[in-house]
Amino acid sequence: MAGESKSRIKKIESAGFMRELMAAYFHELDDASQTGSAKVAWCTSVGPAELLRALGFLVYFPENHGALLGSSRLASDLIPAANAAGYSPDICSYLTSDIGAWLRKTTPLTRAFGLKSVPKPDVLVCSTNQCRDVQDWFAFYQRELGVPLLCVNSPRNIGDLTSDQIAYLASQYRALVPKLEPIAGTTFDIDRLRSVVASSYRCTEGWKRVLRSACSRPSPITFFDGTIHMGPAVVLRGDPRAEQYYEKLGAELEARIAAADGAVEGEKHRLYWDGMPVWGKLRDHAELMASRQTCVVASTYCNSWIFEALAEPDPFVGMARAYAELFIVRDEPFKEQYFTRMVKDYAIDGIVFHDAKTCPNNSNNRYGLPGRLAEKLGVPHIVVHGDLNDLRLYSEEQAATQFEALIEQL
Amino acid sequence: MDTNLLVAGIDVGTECVKVVLLREDNAVAGVAIVPTSGYFQDCIREAMRNALTEAHATAQSLRATCVTGFGAACAASPTRTLTEAACQARAAFHYGGTPLTLLDIGGREPKAVRVSEDGRPLQCKAVRKCAVGVGTFLMFAARHLDVHPTRLMDLAVAATEPASIGGYCSVFGEVEVIERLRDGATAESIALGCMYAIADRILEIQGIEGTIRATGGVCEYFPGVVRALSERLGKPIDVLPAPITSAALGAALFAKDLAMA
Repeated sequence: MAGESKSRIKKIESAGFMRELMAAYFHELDDASQTGSAKVAWCTSVGPAELLRALGFLVYFPENHGALLGSSRLASDLIPAANAAGYSPDICSYLTSDIGAWLRKTTPLTRAFGLKSVPKPDVLVCSTNQCRDVQDWFAFYQRELGVPLLCVNSPRNIGDLTSDQIAYLASQYRALVPKLEPIAGTTFDIDRLRSVVASSYRCTEGWKRVLRSACSRPSPITFFDGTIHMGPAVVLRGDPRAEQYYEKLGAELEARIAAADGAVEGEKHRLYWDGMPVWGKLRDHAELMASRQTCVVASTYCNSWIFEALAEPDPFVGMARAYAELFIVRDEPFKEQYFTRMVKDYAIDGIVFHDAKTCPNNSNNRYGLPGRLAEKLGVPHIVVHGDLNDLRLYSEEQAATQFEALIEQL
Repeated sequence: MDTNLLVAGIDVGTECVKVVLLREDNAVAGVAIVPTSGYFQDCIREAMRNALTEAHATAQSLRATCVTGFGAACAASPTRTLTEAACQARAAFHYGGTPLTLLDIGGREPKAVRVSEDGRPLQCKAVRKCAVGVGTFLMFAARHLDVHPTRLMDLAVAATEPASIGGYCSVFGEVEVIERLRDGATAESIALGCMYAIADRILEIQGIEGTIRATGGVCEYFPGVVRALSERLGKPIDVLPAPITSAALGAALFAKDLAMA
């Protein structure tokens, strides 16, 4: 409405440092891709990035590129190109927007960081812990670029994680080593892996500290901030620069807590966001919530980059456990308990379930969970139908009506 | 009592813009319903002009104006903008019988609003995205059945049984209307089938329970939808008086609160 154009989103000072880090990360990848100064591996976002770093690879994450395509709002224009190449509009829109971008020879990295294209891989490594779509996504590039694809097969729908499941995964990680060594041109060093995993764990600790700061009232950070500031935890974990970043960000947030400086002015309501963000609508959602003095303080999504099991003494076992005990890999009873804990820890007043049309594994409303939680916790909820990247599947007005209806109930 | 007090409630819907003017004793001084066509701002102005004419009043005499609906942002300087759920819940409370579940079936997306005893919306759930555009769907059906939209109900009443129209997406539903015509179904059965299609999508909303009442423009012009809902649920469903203007009435009641505060 007229007179409401001034942004209510509060600036986080550390963001400048993060942009520098991300720019350095992408320029290193670009340089390696163009000069061959280092080998480049493409990896799933919750896959064995630590192992790849330990072997000397620079690691690029197509899912991060998918998120950039979404947040830059390029995705909806590029998805049809992938559809025309035989990839259904019903499958992962990270996949279809990324392949669409490849087919159209474009990338948001050009505008953001000056890269002409995404860095070319020497190897593709994926884990099916989040979904099967990643396998087909990476297989496209295997065919397109003629580079090897190595895949870790993960059990899913896990209740209590068993020693057999951990052993199964750890053995697959170990089996990757002899396949990766000749591509990397290096010899595997267990101490190097231990060092990278230890760094990754410290990154997790820092990221956890950032997210837990939202337990304070008012919260110094929103979910929408979190989706941006998780960048280093996704693409640079295992690199000491990610640790440095979360030290800086954590300190800034703690100072804001001390000053009772909330991310949302006059915070009245605290929400939980389940599922993927609607990347192209992050700012709109942040503004809408702030205008209603509502802070989305916690999310399943941002918490999915906390890997506490990396503290295990055996790094292979640590990676196996860390990447199998994630929320997305777990069964419904686990998820129910997880929500119960989060609602209590963050003093949640209401839950937003985002039903992302093309991401069933991140849409937790589809098997009656919201109803069971409402009965158990007495916390109101809404289901917003949309998508992570394909804005043709999202209705602005319908979502706003739902958000407002939820806030009105609180 | 302030006999000069006059307030307005505006519901800017996708199919119609509705204005209700209220006096302090809740007497309705003026009502206007203008089909939504072109820019919302023009429709709002026209509806307000008509309502004020009926009330023998001028815009300057309005002490407060509350607005709701899809195009609420297009209203010029309202005293307050409110959600449809809040306005419908307030109207339901005004008419009595709360707590209840109110089915708001307007031109866009049907919603189930759980209304507390004191008229607050406790929960509001909408149909899944693919089932929105109810008004547009019925307009489409009327065009293909070659009748004016207001005649669709007359056709439906004459049907012995509904044609099957089951797609959960309104676009698929529209294609099904054409398919049924191709297959030789009667216009009457297709008209009734459209009503059942809408009712069935509404019943997919979780939490429709307890006393159920209905409101919204669809109930006004296409009561067959309410009849289909009632039949599917196996219990009677009352419709709020003047259902097409109930959200505007709720907005006007809020406006009165503000004016008298």
